Amino acid sequence: MSTAEQVRAFRGMTRAGTRSVLIYRGDLITGAVTLVIQVVLAIAVWRIVYSGRGPVDGVDARTAVAYAAIAACLQSVLLPWQFSSLPMRIRNGQIATDLTRPLGLIWQVFGQNLGVLLGRLPLGAIGLAAAAVLGALTLPPSWAAGLLSLVATVGGVMVAMLCNLIVSMVTFWTFEVGGPLIVYRFGSAFLSGSLIPLWFMPGWLRASVEWLPFQAQVYTPVSIYLGQTRGGQALALVAIQLVWVVLLTVLLELIWRRARYRVVVQGG
Amino acid sequence: MAEQTWLRQYVILERAALRAQLQYRVNFWTTLMGGIAYQGTQLLFLGVLLGKFGLIGGWGFSEVAFVFAMRLASHALYVVPFGSLRLTDEMVRDGEFDRVLLRPVNPFLQLVTRMFPLMSLGDALLGCGALVVFGWQAPIDWTPAKIGYLILAVIGGGLVETGIQTFFCGLSFVATSTFSLRIFADSSITQFSGYPLTMFGRATFYAFCTIFPMAFISFLPATVLLGRTSDVPLPAWLTTLSPLAGTVVFVLGYTFFTKMMPRYTSPGS
Repeated sequence: MSTAEQVRAFRGMTRAGTRSVLIYRGDLITGAVTLVIQVVLAIAVWRIVYSGRGPVDGVDARTAVAYAAIAACLQSVLLPWQFSSLPMRIRNGQIATDLTRPLGLIWQVFGQNLGVLLGRLPLGAIGLAAAAVLGALTLPPSWAAGLLSLVATVGGVMVAMLCNLIVSMVTFWTFEVGGPLIVYRFGSAFLSGSLIPLWFMPGWLRASVEWLPFQAQVYTPVSIYLGQTRGGQALALVAIQLVWVVLLTVLLELIWRRARYRVVVQGG
Repeated sequence: MAEQTWLRQYVILERAALRAQLQYRVNFWTTLMGGIAYQGTQLLFLGVLLGKFGLIGGWGFSEVAFVFAMRLASHALYVVPFGSLRLTDEMVRDGEFDRVLLRPVNPFLQLVTRMFPLMSLGDALLGCGALVVFGWQAPIDWTPAKIGYLILAVIGGGLVETGIQTFFCGLSFVATSTFSLRIFADSSITQFSGYPLTMFGRATFYAFCTIFPMAFISFLPATVLLGRTSDVPLPAWLTTLSPLAGTVVFVLGYTFFTKMMPRYTSPGS
């Protein structure tokens, strides 16, 4: 298959992924409504926690509230509950057909996951709009910070997608992936800083979290956007994202090489 | 079939479901950890937040942690016996519900025993542990009466959650997908029911007592045990009766479920 054909096949998978999200309108609408409610409640919690207090650890109420709102929206796009169809395909034996397709399996899954992510973007946008209406959003301190946070968001998306893919691959060994997925989802919800920013974590916890790839998903883009991480430090965080993208790609490739020999076609 | 009681049917079916789940060993252990990670991160969050800020809505860590523990124990009482209700959606969509209707066992019972929710064992472990530890640390002089009230409150809370989820099962017979709603209910209860709910303002608080009755799961009975019923904009006697809400919510949910079931249409037909 030529490169052009492969690109076309990849785009087809992405479109299919997006459609799998957009087709359940009712679910999408409730998803949006519920995200708005959660954003509203998260904003309320942080406003109440701060009520009348000055900056804590150099972070004022406005910044903390904006962080909570943006992080909740970003998380809902990056960490959906039903992300990849890979585990299901392995379980019901469909993987046999997938493996004979001209586009490599990794690219098929990657395309589909990207599609799901794109399909969920409007949700995140609605959540952000709600936060803006409530006056919870702030603008980045400078154009440079805004641009860099955009780059960091792309980096965060890549790290999140690679992590998601790696966790889905576990199915090749265990068949059931419910458990690992949940450990991953909640582990990363906390470790990525989407529940609580790294600023407020006690030293030992923060030091451990900084050694993991999860902070790249949420904390890095949001803290740069809010100007809480600036200059050289901000650039360093983006560089760390890049390192993680490379490391996770290598890891994924290694896992996939071994997984290929583990394929058992159920029912076949 | 008629001579078997529903309890016996439940035990037989649930045992089979558990056996089916135990086939996947790695999944068993990771799922167990998943349950603990799910709730543990929430506790960690409260710990970090209160460690930094001291009080939330006038409540300190020992009080908030106690509400958290009550909620988690209630949650375990929903999720261990009834957790597979969340699969109803999928079964309705795939048409697997056809099979349920063909069997001579109560459909609700079949849904409940569809799959043993392994993750719930993690919840149960953490819930019981937390209740003992945080119950000990909470500013409460424990008497047998208070312990009895706590047990009733935890059972009531479990029934509130079961009732809400049963209601969604009824809804899935007419809506294509209730997945988001279900996740919303679950994550709202997880994330927010541990806070002193009155802090969100009166209107929101009343909504938590009626439309989405999360306040009954742990907050209202906890105010009784902590001697803080004056925080609640409700008469003290009504707050004290809050463990009864579980039965009410469950009966409402189950009635809705049975009313909606005839509206199920097999997909592809």
